[in-house]
Amino acid sequence: MSASMMQPNLDQLAGLTGVRAGALSRWQETGWPNSRVEQWRFTRLASLEKMDLRPASAAAPAGTEAISAVLPENGVILSFSNGVLDVAGLAALPDGVTASFLSENDTALAVLAALVPASHPVSDLSLAVMTSGLHLEIAGRVDVPIILVFTGDDNGVSSHPVVSVKLADGASTVLAEWHQSAVGLSAPLMAIEVGDKARLDYAKVQHESAQSAHLAATGLTLGEGSVFEGFQISVGGQLARLETHITLTGENADCTLSAIYLGRANQHHDITTNMSHAKGHCLSNQIIRGVLDDSARGVFQGKVHVAPDAQKTDGQQMSRALLLSRKAEADAKPELEIYADDVLCAHGATVGELDETQLFYLTSRGIDRDTARGMLISAFLDDAIDSISHPALAAMLRPVTTAWMTASNRSETGDK
Amino acid sequence: MAPLLEIRDLHASVGDTPILKGINLTINAGEIHAIMGPNGSGKSTMSYALAGRDGYEVTGGDILMNGVSMLEMEPDERARAGMFLAFQYPVELPGVGGMSFLRAAVNARRIEAGEDEIDQLEFVKLVRAKAKHLSINDDMLKRAVNVGFSGGEKKRYEILQMALLEPVLSVLDETDSGLDVDALKIVSDGVNLLRDPARSMLVITHYQRLLNHIVPDYVHILAGGKIRRTGGKELALEVEESGYVGIDDAA
Ligand SMILES: Nc1ncnc2c1ncn2[C@@H]1O[C@H](COP(=O)(O)OP(=O)(O)OP(=O)(O)O)[C@@H](O)[C@H]1O
Ligand SMILES: [Mg+2]
Repeated sequence: MSASMMQPNLDQLAGLTGVRAGALSRWQETGWPNSRVEQWRFTRLASLEKMDLRPASAAAPAGTEAISAVLPENGVILSFSNGVLDVAGLAALPDGVTASFLSENDTALAVLAALVPASHPVSDLSLAVMTSGLHLEIAGRVDVPIILVFTGDDNGVSSHPVVSVKLADGASTVLAEWHQSAVGLSAPLMAIEVGDKARLDYAKVQHESAQSAHLAATGLTLGEGSVFEGFQISVGGQLARLETHITLTGENADCTLSAIYLGRANQHHDITTNMSHAKGHCLSNQIIRGVLDDSARGVFQGKVHVAPDAQKTDGQQMSRALLLSRKAEADAKPELEIYADDVLCAHGATVGELDETQLFYLTSRGIDRDTARGMLISAFLDDAIDSISHPALAAMLRPVTTAWMTASNRSETGDK
Repeated sequence: MAPLLEIRDLHASVGDTPILKGINLTINAGEIHAIMGPNGSGKSTMSYALAGRDGYEVTGGDILMNGVSMLEMEPDERARAGMFLAFQYPVELPGVGGMSFLRAAVNARRIEAGEDEIDQLEFVKLVRAKAKHLSINDDMLKRAVNVGFSGGEKKRYEILQMALLEPVLSVLDETDSGLDVDALKIVSDGVNLLRDPARSMLVITHYQRLLNHIVPDYVHILAGGKIRRTGGKELALEVEESGYVGIDDAA
């Protein structure tokens, strides 16, 4: 660890006890991972050094700035500004949702700490620093989407919002995260427990500004017969890592976790997943698509782990990256660790370019080259986007890719 | 008045290999010209050079449409100016919906002409009507472009595009290859529907039988990158009988 690397001002944390104190001492021991740590080989954090960050204080949040989101109309929005929750929003939570605060609840924190990826620096750091800690319990069927909006405008701040969500057995809900900070480091920590026969439709949009960094750690457990349909888009930020660890803890769980990353300029996107089949008869499916322009870099690391008695596991993972420029670069590291013998698992990773023959076919029909490129990129992304079955979430996500392509065409025309 | 298409001493290379070695061809409005020639003689290369495909570099000569050189024009500009190429091997576009593809093409042409985009319902009706003539069913229309189409279906889909785009110059590259007898008739009828005093066609084929359906005004024999002979439709019969022996292709 380099000595000059960003060190959060931890003075304010003196006097922590319990889980958070433990997290703090672990973090102080390990600090930021360097590139010799295998899981961080492709994503280096040295650029954080220049950001000179301090953790946000729990000051009253500023008003939510205008965000470019097309958020589901009927959704309830909970706003976090510089990592701090605007508690007034909790009053609008629909029936079936109970909110409480984590910072004082060591039992809940212990549960959360066990769920989130242990290998991720944010897990310990955000637990310790925690700008806001929100816990939501969902009971029964909640159709109103709950949307967590994270904005930030305080220069030099690192935001550490911590959210845990527990879906009771048989519960169902729709949850979205929209991240759009202008500056700083966002280090959100999420832990989600999906109970037996529960269903969660989930989407996350990482839409930070080009000056920001986003390092997220998310952990989920899926109970018996539960359904999780999750989607992540990483489009903003200078440096972004979305790391998600899922453990299938009951039989017959059905898990989809798809992701798209879209990069240009010198952006770095990292999608890291860890799908752990602890019990048999579960299905997991991951569709990852990346599009990279200019000198952008994309990383997908996906591990599928099947425990010895997780028989009849069906674990699928397919990652494809499309490079629009010679200087763009994509790395994929799929890993299968299978200890059961009766499983159906497959993974694949490809990196390619737009097909000139296909482009010629389209342009020979009078379609201009930019539109033709857009059509082929959309086609490339569609298998992933089509995996979102919840209409409000699909409606929120589609404009993000469309807007990115429009901007891409503009910059391409500018280069010529 | 300038001819609809004039190819002047066209030289073109693929990579560093010269393929077209001085093609001269003039097509007046309303005429149908057929091009025959041995495999590898440069027929598809010529069609790509006309359409402006990257990698088919014109090293000499000129291509003029209505007196205007097209060499500096991109493929999409040439298409919007009224050129259409029916591909020898139509390209599959997985994930690109057929209807949205057809509509994008039609709208590109309309916007170029200063017209409004076509109304969605009107468009669906138009496509259905044209598709019916070509025995293209709704299921094919709904699929991704050319994906899972049989060889013959792909060729019919090319003609559907041509019918929708109403080009002034159509280049058909072996549209008859791989067609069964009935499909050949369907495709030829589709092509003949577009015959018009203001439109011209360049029909590349290996078989005289197509020319029974689409009767050409002229037949040219391309060999070794040059047009070696030009005649009327009887030249196609001659080729059918005696092949290309005796046609001088010493380049
Ligand atoms: N992309 C390419 N790279 C290298 N050589 C090429 C390429 N395209 C065409 N050629 C060569 O150019 C020559 C002419 O090819 P072309 O496809 O134009 O022939 P054709 O007359 O259409 O033949 P066919 O009747 O078999 O369709 C051939 O020798 C071919 O190998
Ligand atoms: Mg050919």
